[in-house]
Amino acid sequence: MGKRALLALGLFAGGAVVGTLAVAKEKLPEHLRELLELGMHPGHVFVDEGRDYYHNLKGPNGKTCATCHGQDGAKLEGAYAKMPRYYKDIDKVADIDLRILSCMTKYMGFDPKDKKFRKEYDKKLRVPLATYVASLSNGMKINVEIKHPKEKEMYELGKKIWFTRAGAREFSCAMCHTVLAGKRIRLQGLPNPVKAKSYNHWPAYRFGSDRMWTMEDRVTSCFKAYFLFTKRWDEKKDWVKKPPLYSKEVIAVELYMKHASNGGIIEVPGLLR
Amino acid sequence: MKKIALAGAVVGLGLLVACQPAAQKAEAQKPKKKLSKYEKFKIAFYQNQDKWQKYCSNEAQLVPQGISIEEFKKAMLATIKFPPGGKVMGDWKRGEKLFGDPKKGGRSRRGNCYACHCGDPQIIACGNIGPSLRGYGKRGIDPKQTYMRIYNSWAFNPCSAMPRLGYWGVLKPEEIADIVAFLHSPESPINR
Repeated sequence: MGKRALLALGLFAGGAVVGTLAVAKEKLPEHLRELLELGMHPGHVFVDEGRDYYHNLKGPNGKTCATCHGQDGAKLEGAYAKMPRYYKDIDKVADIDLRILSCMTKYMGFDPKDKKFRKEYDKKLRVPLATYVASLSNGMKINVEIKHPKEKEMYELGKKIWFTRAGAREFSCAMCHTVLAGKRIRLQGLPNPVKAKSYNHWPAYRFGSDRMWTMEDRVTSCFKAYFLFTKRWDEKKDWVKKPPLYSKEVIAVELYMKHASNGGIIEVPGLLR
Repeated sequence: MKKIALAGAVVGLGLLVACQPAAQKAEAQKPKKKLSKYEKFKIAFYQNQDKWQKYCSNEAQLVPQGISIEEFKKAMLATIKFPPGGKVMGDWKRGEKLFGDPKKGGRSRRGNCYACHCGDPQIIACGNIGPSLRGYGKRGIDPKQTYMRIYNSWAFNPCSAMPRLGYWGVLKPEEIADIVAFLHSPESPINR
């Protein structure tokens, strides 16, 4: 009711405000809704792209992903439901992005120190491959287990970061997504991703930024946007610090959130604002 | 006489020689090693977190733990600085821009107050996290109190969701005074 009243007022005010209200309705834009009705999801482009890389991208030693994991990812079904988890071969807790990177460097022969390859992976290969591998687990329940001591350590770190208040805006993850969940920042409702088990539709296509995001992108950009404003009015310094991809802190938060979403049914790729 | 002069010269020369490498060293130390992205993040996230934020980093979020609330408030009150001359009311038009520029639909990179508070009735896109500020000037609140609340909200509500805008230097004291004027001035759209 409240939102409807606001919407009516917005139509009166007209102009720029209507744009913001359309977002507030938390509905898809017209053109995307039409696409969905036709059975076309912008995220599916990334799944197809990822499938192409999976079968055709050859590493320096001639292997593709399909060489080990089977045609059409036969052996990867359900793998995403358990990520992030501890992997013995790399001795690390890895999420999907880091797992694929370490597969490529360890078994496909790419050089981890080759800057060109790293850039190509981060910018081009990572998201489609992660989306494709995640989509192989569609319809399964998220089932992250915390057994290994390193997993336990990461879970504790993730929980600590979830409640850590830092930066010049005194934010923490929990501030918006646990304490203030259900209220609005401007007209944007704040969800409670822990309660709503909304990890199940990540990686997701976000029409706000018009591209596919993995959870790694989501967490790093949360740090950038909401946490770490360090600039002071008398200093002209870069005031936004975001953790680089694959850092410990990002994976820890992912583990905490995904463990909280245990039981949710995976639907990848998602479609979000 | 000559000897003394000579000795003086030698000592002076010696001093010069002795001092030069030290000066050079200091210069060489200045341009520090470039920090990696991860190190910069760690500084921003761990080192820049102050001890008051640590008291609030618990599961309750809005209640400090490990310190009494009175002590917390007292320490926060002590950090508040006033603009030169102690004038807590500035120019409300400048304050409006900091609060949220009506030409940009209430957006502002500085104060961004509309994210949580409603104010000017013309701006509908306002959040409901903080209380509505419509008609704030008519509530009979002391402008000095308003100033202090904006400068360091934790002096009144420890660990509240409102950032300590003056404490972190997001807003200058004069800029906060402008916002106070926007809230209290009878001509401002908030009170009209």
